[in-house]
Amino acid sequence: MKPPDSRFGTALTLTARELLRNRVAVLMLFIIPTLFYTIVALTTRTAKVPFKLASVAGSPLAQVSERSSSLIFIGTAAVGLLAAFLGLSLVQKNIEANRRLVLCGYRPAELIGARLVVLLVVVAVVGTFVAELLPLFFTPERFVLVMAGFALAGFVYGCYGLLVGAIFRRELEGILFISLLANIDAGWLQNPVYYAGAQNQVIIRLLPAYYPSQMSIIAAFTRYGVGRAVTGSLVYGSAFLALALAVYFLRMRIRRPRPNPMTPV
Amino acid sequence: MPSSTESAGVEQLLSVRHVARAFGRNRVLIDASLFIGPGEVVGITGENGSGKSTLLNIIVGRLRPDSGTVTASGRIGYCPQEMLVFDTLTVRENFRFFAAAYEVADWPARMDALLGRLNFGRYVDTPVSHLSGGTRQKLNLAVAWLHEPDILVLDEPYSGFDWETYLHFWDITAEHRRLNRAVLVVSHFVHERTRFDALYRVAAGRLEPESVR
Repeated sequence: MKPPDSRFGTALTLTARELLRNRVAVLMLFIIPTLFYTIVALTTRTAKVPFKLASVAGSPLAQVSERSSSLIFIGTAAVGLLAAFLGLSLVQKNIEANRRLVLCGYRPAELIGARLVVLLVVVAVVGTFVAELLPLFFTPERFVLVMAGFALAGFVYGCYGLLVGAIFRRELEGILFISLLANIDAGWLQNPVYYAGAQNQVIIRLLPAYYPSQMSIIAAFTRYGVGRAVTGSLVYGSAFLALALAVYFLRMRIRRPRPNPMTPV
Repeated sequence: MPSSTESAGVEQLLSVRHVARAFGRNRVLIDASLFIGPGEVVGITGENGSGKSTLLNIIVGRLRPDSGTVTASGRIGYCPQEMLVFDTLTVRENFRFFAAAYEVADWPARMDALLGRLNFGRYVDTPVSHLSGGTRQKLNLAVAWLHEPDILVLDEPYSGFDWETYLHFWDITAEHRRLNRAVLVVSHFVHERTRFDALYRVAAGRLEPESVR
């Protein structure tokens, strides 16, 4: 007799199908970064500007074109922002239908695991796409590491999106919470030019996009090591993920009727 | 006819004992007890906000009671009042998702049988978002039946059904009863009392028996 379909495999396939059927959203994942890059290219100068490499020992100064540094900054911000909204949507959409699946036998870990895999695949694809556009404007020093930096921004903010989606029941609150942090952090304070002149750099260093932004910038313009930036990104993303899982498991918690001791099931 | 009452030596598929639940200061259920044996079809009615859905949510495990116990012999199938299915997936994909949850291997055959009985087979590859409210309700109900549960718990199952589907619903329920399985229907109105073996009304946080005549 044919065995039943794997629960995780089914959840993975159907979650991916749900996402792919939202064609406009899938298209926007590629249109938004392209638009961001175009605007940066049209509005920035090619003149060199100095900024500090904050996460490198001694914070040495780098002199790069305003356009190139802005492209790296906006690429990181775009991937982070898109990943956060995707994470939010993956958890929040159909959460009560998912809870029904848990009542029917699914383990919460199988459902959230499938969503996490879909999120990571999309982050990898979008991160690669955004990095692949860069050579149209300039040649990064270490292309693969820039790409990895974008993907790490997606990982950190994607996990933040999962957390926000697990906490809030309504979409608007989730969107506002993501906009609040992502706009201030990835979309503003991590701009290397802004960072260089900031009064309080400690706050900026504590924000989630700090390490992925540093990784992309260091890799794009220098040969310095990126180990600290990779570790920091992974720790930050994993912490968000652990919190997201804890809240998700609480939301999915059920209390099945006890088996009747009088009657064998 | 089965009695739906607790008695020594009588096998119960579902036992709800002295269940209480409050939301803040609002004591929705104070002391609700219910026993359902094999082959019984039991109905629960009550006004809106009386606690019917709260009791059902406790029975299926969506809510935790403040006190009291729920025990069950066998598998429960649950059809909620809300449409808890996946809008962007097709009818077939929804069946597939729930079949994986129940670990039902021969789900395509069971799906075909349910689609035929409830007369919505032509929509099998249609996304749920394109279906009418009544057809969505059929799907909501059908996935609860997919694993042939021993106890079927239905919250307002036939709202939105046309007359023909309503009759099919009772045909399937009668078959369920013949197989010695139990059905619990919660509805704010019951207009064919004789279809039930026992009826209860939720009032003032308790379950009061009502006549089925």
